[in-house]
Amino acid sequence: MTGPVLAHEMGLSRRLLPAPAIPTPGLLVGGMVGLLAVAVLGLVGAGIAQEHAAPAQRLLAPGAIGHPLGTDQLGRDVLARTLAGFRWSLVVVLPATLIAGLAGTGLGLAAAASWGWTRVILERATETAAGFPFLVLAAPIVALAGRGYWPLLIVLAILASAPFALAVFDTTWRGRGRTPVADALNALPTALPVVGAFIVADLVVTEACLSFLGVGAPEVAPSWGNMLADARQNVSAAPWILYAPAAALLLTVLSANWFGEGLGQLWRVKTR
Amino acid sequence: MTVASLLFILVRLSGSPAALLAGAGASQAQVRSAHVAYGLDGPILQQYVTFVTRALRLDFGQSPAHHAAAVELVRLRLPATVLLTAAAVAATALVAVSLGVWLGLRADRPEHGWAFRLLLTGQSLPALIVGLVLVQLLGLTPATGARSSLSFTLSALTLTWWLTPRAARLTAGTVAGALRQTWVLTAKAMGATSRDLLWGHVLPNALLAALALVGVQVAFLLSATVVVEWLFGWPGVGDLLAGSLRAMDFPVVEAAMFAIAFLVFATYAMVDLVVAAVDPRLRRRPTPP
Repeated sequence: MTGPVLAHEMGLSRRLLPAPAIPTPGLLVGGMVGLLAVAVLGLVGAGIAQEHAAPAQRLLAPGAIGHPLGTDQLGRDVLARTLAGFRWSLVVVLPATLIAGLAGTGLGLAAAASWGWTRVILERATETAAGFPFLVLAAPIVALAGRGYWPLLIVLAILASAPFALAVFDTTWRGRGRTPVADALNALPTALPVVGAFIVADLVVTEACLSFLGVGAPEVAPSWGNMLADARQNVSAAPWILYAPAAALLLTVLSANWFGEGLGQLWRVKTR
Repeated sequence: MTVASLLFILVRLSGSPAALLAGAGASQAQVRSAHVAYGLDGPILQQYVTFVTRALRLDFGQSPAHHAAAVELVRLRLPATVLLTAAAVAATALVAVSLGVWLGLRADRPEHGWAFRLLLTGQSLPALIVGLVLVQLLGLTPATGARSSLSFTLSALTLTWWLTPRAARLTAGTVAGALRQTWVLTAKAMGATSRDLLWGHVLPNALLAALALVGVQVAFLLSATVVVEWLFGWPGVGDLLAGSLRAMDFPVVEAAMFAIAFLVFATYAMVDLVVAAVDPRLRRRPTPP
C-alpha cells in the first residue's frame, strides 16, 4: 500500500525518523521528568483545587481571589479544571494504549507468523487501518455510540491497535530484514515502549480533538478538548481560558514524544 | 470497500438503522423510504450487499438538514480541501526541504542538536493548539468567522506548521546519511565539487524521502484538516464533516468519510507511482547504458 521504499525508510512503526548524527542526550531524561510530572498531577491534581460551577463568578479574569487562572463561562475555576484534566486524559488514554498494545502485538505476531494468503490479508488490513485518518474514523463512531468515557476508551483502543500491529509486524518480519525469529522477538520488548510512548502522545491529542469537535468526552468532563472548545466560544470575552489547557496538553504530548524519541535513539544504538 | 463494511457494522449496532440512515430530523416518510431503499426487511447478508453497493455507487441518500443529496454536498466542498492540503504540502516542501538540507549539511556541529530539539518540540505542538493560538492572537470570534482569504491563509499556515518538523527531520536525516555514504567519497575522488554533489546526488535523494513521507503523513494531515477547517471556517470536507457530526446528519457524514478515504488512498497510490517513476532504483527494467 505504501510502497516498497517506505518499509525501509521508515523503519520501526514508520514514526521514528532517521536519528541525528549526534545523539541528543537529555531527551530521555527530559521526557521521563515530564511524564513523571504528568503522572503526579494526574494522581493528586484533582485534589489540589475543586472545580464547581458558580454562575455568580462567570468569566473572572486571572488573579481573582481564589481563582489564580480565572474562571470559565460557567464560573468553573480554570486551574482546577485543567488539573483535573490530567486525570481524565490518563484514565482514558493509558487503558486504551494498554489494550491496543496487547491486541496489536497479538495481531502483528499473528501476521508475522502466518504465511500465504493469511499473511497478505492480515498485513493489508493492518496497513489500511493504520493508514486511515484516525480522527475521521473515530469521530463518527463516538458520535454514533454517544459521548462518554467508555465509547471513547474503546474507540481509541481499537484504532490504536492498528499502528501497534504494524510496528510489531515491521519489527519481527520486515523491519530489520530477514533476522532470525529469536532476534526479532528480542527486539520487541525494546520496541514496544517506544511505539507506546508515541501512541500515548497521539491519543492524548486525538481525545482533545474529538472533545473539541463535540464528539468525545461528555460536556461536564474536565477534558482539555472541552476546555479548548469553551475557549473558542469565549475567545474575545475570556482569552485566558485557552492557555492553561493548551499548556497542559503540550506538556503531556511533549514529554511522551521526548521519552519515545530518547528511548528510540537508545534502541537504535543498541541494534546498530 | 473496507470503509463501507465498517460503516455497515456501526449502523447495525446503533439499533435503529433506518432512522440513522435517513439522518437526524428526518420525517417519518423519509425514515420509511430509507428502510425500503436499504432493504432492511431482508436477511442481514442481503442488507450488507445493498449497503455496500449503494456506497460504491456513491448513493448516500438525502441530507435532511441541507435538503440536498449528500454526495453533491461533499462534491462541492472537495476542491476546497484539495486546494488547502495541496497548498500546505507545497509550502511544507519549500520550507522543510531547505531547512532539512541546511541542517543535514551541519550534522556534525553542535547547533544541529539544538535545531533537532526545536523541531521535535515543534512536532509535538498539536495543530489544534497552533490554530487556537492564531485565532486568539487575531481575535477572531466564532460568530464573525474569518474572511475566506484569511481563513485559507491561516488554515494552510497551521497545517504547514504541523507538517514541517517531520519533513525537515527526515530530509536532514537523509542528507546527513547520504553524505556518509561511500559513493560520496567516490564522487569526490572523481573530482565532483560539493555543489555538484548536493544538487546532483544528495538533493534528489532527500526530495524522494520527503515525498514518501508526505505520502505516509497524508492520513494524519487530513485528520488535522478536519479540526483546522472547522476552526477557521474554511468550507472544505472537514468542516462539513465536523458540522454534520454535531447535527448527526449521517448521510453527509458517510459521504464525507468516503471522500476523505478516497483522498488518502488516491494519494498513497499517486506517491507510490511517482516514487517508482522517479527513483531509478525501483525501475524494473534496467535502463540501457
